[in-house]
Amino acid sequence: MLVNLSIIFLLASLAILIAKKIKYCSIPLLILLGIFLGPNAPQFWGTNLSLIQNSESVELLSRLGVLFLLFYLGLEFSISGVVRNSKTIIKGGSIYTGLNFLRGLALGWFFFHSWPFALAVAGITTVSSSAIVTRLLVEAKRTANPETELILGIMVYEDIFMVFFLSVFSAYLTAQSSSAWLPAVAGGLITLAFLGAIFFLGQRLGICFDRLLNKQSAEALVVVAFTFLLASAVLAEAARLSETVGALLLGLILAETSQAKKLVQMFTPFRDLFGAVFFLSFGMQIDYRYFLTVVDITAWAAGLTIAGNLLAGVLSAWACGYRGAAAVNIAGAMIARGEFAIIVAGLAASAGMAGGLQPFAALYVLVLALVSPVLMKRSRALYNFFLRLRKIAVKTQEREISPGA
Amino acid sequence: MGGIKEAELPGLGKKYQVELESGESVVVVIYDEGHRELFYFPAHESEPAFSVTLTDQEARQIGSIIGGAFYQPKMLERLEMAIAELRIEWLKVAPDAQVVGKSIGDLHLRKNLGVTVIAILEEGQKGKKKTAAINPGPGFVFAPGQTVVVAGKAGNIEQFQEMATGKGA
Repeated sequence: MLVNLSIIFLLASLAILIAKKIKYCSIPLLILLGIFLGPNAPQFWGTNLSLIQNSESVELLSRLGVLFLLFYLGLEFSISGVVRNSKTIIKGGSIYTGLNFLRGLALGWFFFHSWPFALAVAGITTVSSSAIVTRLLVEAKRTANPETELILGIMVYEDIFMVFFLSVFSAYLTAQSSSAWLPAVAGGLITLAFLGAIFFLGQRLGICFDRLLNKQSAEALVVVAFTFLLASAVLAEAARLSETVGALLLGLILAETSQAKKLVQMFTPFRDLFGAVFFLSFGMQIDYRYFLTVVDITAWAAGLTIAGNLLAGVLSAWACGYRGAAAVNIAGAMIARGEFAIIVAGLAASAGMAGGLQPFAALYVLVLALVSPVLMKRSRALYNFFLRLRKIAVKTQEREISPGA
Repeated sequence: MGGIKEAELPGLGKKYQVELESGESVVVVIYDEGHRELFYFPAHESEPAFSVTLTDQEARQIGSIIGGAFYQPKMLERLEMAIAELRIEWLKVAPDAQVVGKSIGDLHLRKNLGVTVIAILEEGQKGKKKTAAINPGPGFVFAPGQTVVVAGKAGNIEQFQEMATGKGA
């Protein structure tokens, strides 16, 4: 067991070191290593490349990895920061996420003709990966640009949207029978009520937890918080919601306590450690031989995501008062998909949905991971291209007018 | 100076935008991991012309250089000298002090010592409020318990301090 684990962490370290060297996010690399060195590894000249197995212990670690990822996401979330710019964030985020979600739903329906699959495809393709996008923004030296505030604001909106989506989707899947819509709606409402409670009672809830957490030693703090995390996952499962929803909601609540900063510091290493296992183990579940069967849907999904993203991005940027190059920057920045796509695909797989959703999600994330840095760097060229088009249009108009004048 | 704008960058850190008189702006991004990035935006530009990344320690060092803790420009030094001559002191009048019972005019404070009384604060008795006589006239009589605010050269203030509190500096 330990041998398997140590090889897994060896591979994870390798992926992360390479990612650091080429200044890129480690998520796609981790998935790739999982695919090609996992149980479904290719055979070359009679030798099996399979180095690691998806054992029970790995599964547990990867499950904890998702919980830590989402807990951290909630923990880092600052309600005060969102409330300050709530108008622009809600406006831009609603347009962007709404359009993308509808595009995903249409795509899923077109390919699978079934609601659960349409929802799954929408979930996989809607939300950008904040990990990859922030990394790219830092890399492109764009953190100080005015439009970056809106980009990051939309990411926050997407996180909240995803809590809601995950709860509806997981409730829908667990009750997938004759009338699955009812529990789905109920699940959505429960989460909505929770979110509302956190938004309106945030500080008071925070104070309740503060009493438990304040003036504790670091040891007590980390153990108590971890216990809460497990309890929230169990509670969410009991309410027929995904355990990820519980983790995210707990993160949002604890973000309101005075210990939030300390907790973020404490749980960053856990997130990095177990998150890596999660992405590797996702790769291990994928048989690359299925890639051929999902090439068409992946190509469509990636193409439509890029086109739809550019459109939705420009529209939401425009609605929030960004013009010109900034609007194109916003549209080009958020193409990358990542952790949420994989979480949704994993959720669907654990509910017994076959149909190649997992290989599709993996291939899709990999393709967009390759495309998004190029688009990010070329958004200036893209804008110049638009300008040239407009200049030509204006010139032809002038020419049409001038003979008459 | 056009002012400082502060913005939250969720997941990254905090951003401070300083608009300069020249229309250019300097943006400092403080990342959650501790390092800083400094950007320069030319006037009317939405893309930075260049940027520098600093570690926490480097940022502190450069900050103290800009703040003048390492080296002060000549002009500021001269300004400090001018102010260095002037001292403003708050003194409490002792019960057995020389000045008790005498007025500002009696003592010829300004003529003899070159000291100016700016204000005299009196503790209110039995829960009464503090009263303050700002720029009191020559007829104002010193009494024990008052707090006297005086301005003058350092040496002269010391002389007055002896008279008012019975103790030298």
